[in-house]
Amino acid sequence: MTDLLATPAGWPRILLARSDAADPTDLDAAVRAGAFDGLKKAARDLGATAVIAEVAASRLKGRGGAGFPTGEKWRLAAASDAPRRYVVANGYEADPSTFTDRTLLERDPFAVIEGALIAAFAIGAGEAIIAVRAEETELVRRLEAAVGAAEEAGFAGSDILGTGLDITLSIRPVAGAYLLGEETILLKALEGKRCQPEQRPPHPAERGLFGMPTVVQNVQTLALVPWIVAHGAAAFAALGASDSPGTVLVQVRTPGGEGIAEVPLGTPLREIVGLGGALPAGRSVKALLVGGPSGGLLPAEALDTPYEFDALRAAGAHVGSGSVVLVDDRACIVDLARLLTRFCSGEACGKTIPCRIGTRRLVEIADRAVDGRSSPSDSTRLLDLAHDIVASALCDHERLTTLPLGSGMRYFRSELDEHFLRGTCPAGVCQPIAVTAGAVQ
Amino acid sequence: MSFVPGLGIVRGMALTLRRFFEPKVTIKYPEQRAEVAPKFRGRLQLLYDEWGTLKCETCFQCAQACPIECIDMGGIDTRGRYHVHWGPPETYGERREESALRRSGRTVPDQAYEHFEPLDLHSIDAILEEHDHDPKRMLRIMEDVQGVYGYLPVGALKRISETTGAWYAMLYGTASFYGHLRLEPEGAARGGMASDEAATRRPTEAAFRSDLDAALVGRTPGDRPGAPAQA
Repeated sequence: MTDLLATPAGWPRILLARSDAADPTDLDAAVRAGAFDGLKKAARDLGATAVIAEVAASRLKGRGGAGFPTGEKWRLAAASDAPRRYVVANGYEADPSTFTDRTLLERDPFAVIEGALIAAFAIGAGEAIIAVRAEETELVRRLEAAVGAAEEAGFAGSDILGTGLDITLSIRPVAGAYLLGEETILLKALEGKRCQPEQRPPHPAERGLFGMPTVVQNVQTLALVPWIVAHGAAAFAALGASDSPGTVLVQVRTPGGEGIAEVPLGTPLREIVGLGGALPAGRSVKALLVGGPSGGLLPAEALDTPYEFDALRAAGAHVGSGSVVLVDDRACIVDLARLLTRFCSGEACGKTIPCRIGTRRLVEIADRAVDGRSSPSDSTRLLDLAHDIVASALCDHERLTTLPLGSGMRYFRSELDEHFLRGTCPAGVCQPIAVTAGAVQ
Repeated sequence: MSFVPGLGIVRGMALTLRRFFEPKVTIKYPEQRAEVAPKFRGRLQLLYDEWGTLKCETCFQCAQACPIECIDMGGIDTRGRYHVHWGPPETYGERREESALRRSGRTVPDQAYEHFEPLDLHSIDAILEEHDHDPKRMLRIMEDVQGVYGYLPVGALKRISETTGAWYAMLYGTASFYGHLRLEPEGAARGGMASDEAATRRPTEAAFRSDLDAALVGRTPGDRPGAPAQA
C-alpha cells in the first residue's frame, strides 16, 4: 500500500474522507461514516433525471485523464434508446508506477461501489462492472467481499433499498496490457476480444459494451459522485478550479519521498511537489514529468502551472495517470524520454501504422541520441514524425506517445541538440558520453 | 535466313507498323481505370524487404478484414510459425464454404494445421463446456487453457475456433495482444524473437519501474539494444 501524504488542513477530503477506517470493507462502519447516503437520496428523493442534472451542474469532469464532462456523458447514455445499458468503472490502473486508483479501491471500496450504483440508477443501467487489475488478487478478493456485503445489506442486487430497482454489480479482473486504461479498449477486453481502439463517434455512451450504451468512468470520478449527490452540486462546484472543480488523487514522487495525496484541481504544481518533501542539498529541479509514461516533461519554470486539465494540456502535459514526478539534475532528459517512449511504443496495439511503426521510429531516434550515433537531421525528423503521428492518430495513446520527446523538444531543446548534433550528454548519463567529432556527419 | 535482301527489316517494320495502329493497352492510370470484374480482388502476395525477410508481421489485420475468411494464417513459417496461405481464386469458394460451416458451429478440418503437435483436447473441451462455448468469454477461456498447458498451443486455439465459431484470426489477435498470454512455452523464444529482443520491444511493467528508478537518478538502464538483458 502506498503511503498517503499529509495535506494542508484547508484542503477538502472527499476521495480519502474514509481512508483511515480500520477495516475499509466493514460496511457498518462505512455506513456510520456516511456511505450510501448519496444512493439513498438519489433513489428515494431525487430520481434519475434530477441526479444527472445535479452531476451536470457540479461540472464534474472524468478523472481518467481526458477530463470529459461526466454529466454530459450520462445524459447521452440515458437518452440513447436501447434495451440494456451498462456502467463500467475503470479501475485498471495502466501506469505501472502509479497506484492512485488502487489506493482508492483499497481504502474506500464502498465509495466506488456507491458511485457505480448511482450512475447505473441515473442512466437506467441494469449492470455495473468494476474492472480491476487481475494481478492484484488481494484487492479483487476484498472488492468481492465489499460487493457481497453491499448486496446483503440491500444496497445492490435486486430490489435496492426497497425501491424495486435491480442493479447487478460485478468485479471483473482484467490483465495484460497498458492500453486497457483506454475506454473502448477496456470494453473490448470485457467482451473477450482483441483490444483495438474504435473510431469515435459513436461514443461508448451511445454504443459501448456489446453495442449497448455504456458509461465508462474512472473509479475516482465515481467515488466523487455520492458526495455530489449528498452535499449538492453547488458545494462541489465551489471546490478546486473554477472550470474543473473537485479533487483528484495525485501520486507525487520526488527524490525526497513518494506518496499519494488528494489535491484540489487547480493547485499549482509547486505545492503538489512540495508535498513529496524537500530536495536533497545540492540538487536542483530539472523537470517535472506529469501524466505517467505518456506524460509531458515540463521545465522548472512550469512549477506555477495549475494542476488542471486545460492548463496542463496547454503546457504540454496532461493529468493522465495522476502522477507527478520531480526530475532532478541527475537525470538526462533524452534518456528519460526514450525510456517512456519505448514503453508506450511497445504497448501499441498495432491497429494504425503511424502508431505501430511511427512510434518505433521515434524510439530509434532516441536510441541513436543516447548511443551517440545521431545524425544532425534527427531533430527535424523527430519533429516531423511526431507531428504526423499526432495528426493521423486514432486514439489518445498514439497521440500522447509523442509527448515525452515532443515536450522535451519544446522545453529542453539545447540538451537534445547536444545529443543530436555533438553526440554528447550534458548530464553525463548517456553512453558513449562523447563521440569523436569525426563520427558525426 | 532469307534469299531476298532486306526482307528481314521489312518484316520487322511491318510488325512495328501493325502495332502502331492497334488499340493501345496502356492507360493513363489513375485518371483512367481498367475494367475489372466486380469481384476481382487481385492476388494476395507477401512482400519481401530489401534484406530478403518477409515484411508480414503476422498482425492478422488482413485475415480479420476478409469477410469470407479466404485469407488465413496457416502452414509454416514467417517467424517459425505462420504463413499466409492463399490460393487461386477458384479456391475462395471453398474457403467461403468452410467459413460458413465454421460459423454455423460445425467442425471444419484444416489440413494446414496437421503438422502441429497433436494435443490432448479433453481439458480444452472441459474448459469450453464450462464457459458454454461462448465467444464473449474468450479471454477467460484462453486464460484457463493457458493455465492447463502453460501456454496457448496452436492446436488449442484451432480447437477453440472450431467449437466456438470464433475466427482463428481473431483468436490469434487476442492471444498475441495480451501480455500475460503466450504462444510458446515459458522460456522459449517469443514469436521467433530472442527473449531479450522481445523484452526490449515490449518491456514488462517491472522492467519499466526499475528503469524509471535508474533514469531518475542518472544511471543508464542496461537494457539497450545490444547490451545483455537485465536479470
